[in-house]
Amino acid sequence: MKMLMKGTEAIAEAAIRAGCRLYFGYPITPQSELTEYMAKRMPEVKGVFLQSESEVATVNMLYGAACTGKRVMTSTSSPGFSLMQEGISYMAGAELPAVFINVMRGGPGLGDIQPSQSDYFQSTKGGGHGDYRMIVLAPHTLQEAANIMGEAFDLAFKYRMLVTILVDGMIGQMMEPVELPEWKNIEELKEPDWALTGAKGRKPRKVTSFDLDPYELEKMNLRYQATYKRVAENEVRYEEFKIEDADIIVVAYGTMARIVKTVADSARKEGIRVGLFRPITLWPFPYERLSKISQNVKHILTVEMSYGQMIEDVKLAVNGKTNVDFYGRSAGVVPTPMEVLEAIKKIAR
Amino acid sequence: MDSRVFIYVGMFGSGKTELSINTAIALRKSSNKVALIDIDIISPYFRSRDEKAFLENLNIKVITAPERYMLADLPIIPPEVGGYISNKEFLTVVDVGGNEDGAIVLGSLNHFLQNADKKIVFVVNVFRPFSSTEEEISRNIDKISRAARCRIDYLVNNSNIGPETTTNDIKTGEEIVLRVSKMTGIPVAFTSIDENIDYKGELPIFRMKRFMKNSW
Repeated sequence: MKMLMKGTEAIAEAAIRAGCRLYFGYPITPQSELTEYMAKRMPEVKGVFLQSESEVATVNMLYGAACTGKRVMTSTSSPGFSLMQEGISYMAGAELPAVFINVMRGGPGLGDIQPSQSDYFQSTKGGGHGDYRMIVLAPHTLQEAANIMGEAFDLAFKYRMLVTILVDGMIGQMMEPVELPEWKNIEELKEPDWALTGAKGRKPRKVTSFDLDPYELEKMNLRYQATYKRVAENEVRYEEFKIEDADIIVVAYGTMARIVKTVADSARKEGIRVGLFRPITLWPFPYERLSKISQNVKHILTVEMSYGQMIEDVKLAVNGKTNVDFYGRSAGVVPTPMEVLEAIKKIAR
Repeated sequence: MDSRVFIYVGMFGSGKTELSINTAIALRKSSNKVALIDIDIISPYFRSRDEKAFLENLNIKVITAPERYMLADLPIIPPEVGGYISNKEFLTVVDVGGNEDGAIVLGSLNHFLQNADKKIVFVVNVFRPFSSTEEEISRNIDKISRAARCRIDYLVNNSNIGPETTTNDIKTGEEIVLRVSKMTGIPVAFTSIDENIDYKGELPIFRMKRFMKNSW
């Protein structure tokens, strides 16, 4: 049975169904409904909901909880995600699996409460210190957001990595019909062989991001890099929409990808063949595929609710093979379909 | 449902804003003096105030936060709210924020509400979280009515799953809401449906145009 849900609610319920029973968070608009949903729902499923005193505390609670090898998550919005970066770096160094939801709002600074896609750099290039990566998934519908939660936890555990679901405030706040995913049987989830569960009757284990000996620390870093390489080779996800005969390929994710799908249809009515390339994993970015399809088109247009962040990855992929243009608005302003169509017409001329 | 002030309460996302806007427009057909009060302090996006210009064009007075604070993440209740609840010349619709947290605002307006000719209407969408069974819904009614310090006069069946709503879904909602009515003794005023759906059930029908939608 389908339900009418907000993005934040769909993500929260899907996380619980994917086996998450430990949630730590601090309310911030436009994602507070996620925290509120967890506050109501966790006691019903015998889980733990804990509202911390700040995002700095949240991320460290998550760090501790993740050490037990359980499915843990938090959610926040841009300024809160900034506060979490130190802890994220520590967790990445400790090779801990956990899921972060960032429902982006404008910035820099306070940024009010309207939607934005300005945390692309922060999420994909590492907002914290050190040589680390996190897997970044960007759903563009509420159904996709609900479906992707199980995968987010699976990836986090498969690679012992952090996963961020990066959505903008619009995906967080809008309502759509959602078919919720099946329940995962948490009894069947295997306890990882690194989990800290009390050393009675076995050798003690250690979860840490640190070693006093730089050569040992280097070995740890090389291990992280090897993991990131495996992820980049195996876990790239993207969607292609009407690109077969396209003269212009628009690259967009999240809410902007939805707008572009509508715009592609209206552009085609005016004789401009437009397609959409939508990265689903922002890290690892689908460089190879975008490189391949960019060979046959006249233009690539990147559309973002930012002043140009993902475009840097698009340019790396295209590598000079064709023109790369940009259209974006930010600070909480969502470009309208008409504006995007105008941007397309301008380069089609 | 005869009244001078219509107050929509209910769970978060149950459809209060759509009902408020559509009720104000319907009332405007019979009166030149219609006001819509937006005291939703819960939702950050998709609020009655987003349609302020459109409604004012229809000569409907929209009472909300001052223009310069309309997008602020602040719980603003302008002083005119009490006035429009009391003013006997106006037919007034009140869009209250969701859950008990939103309904608290009504509690603070109690001294205006006590003497007003008003109906408090509880909106139900059985396809929303925490609202799918009779037990959940009657618990919500209880919580919201306590926070609002008001008795609920009517229920409304606004069960839908957005653009994918079928007549079967509306019927399911109607059945559950009628059972809630039996449990609580609160009558059901009507079933509200999208203007593009054809449905005939046991309850009167209120056809609505959808306002809270995306640009694409």
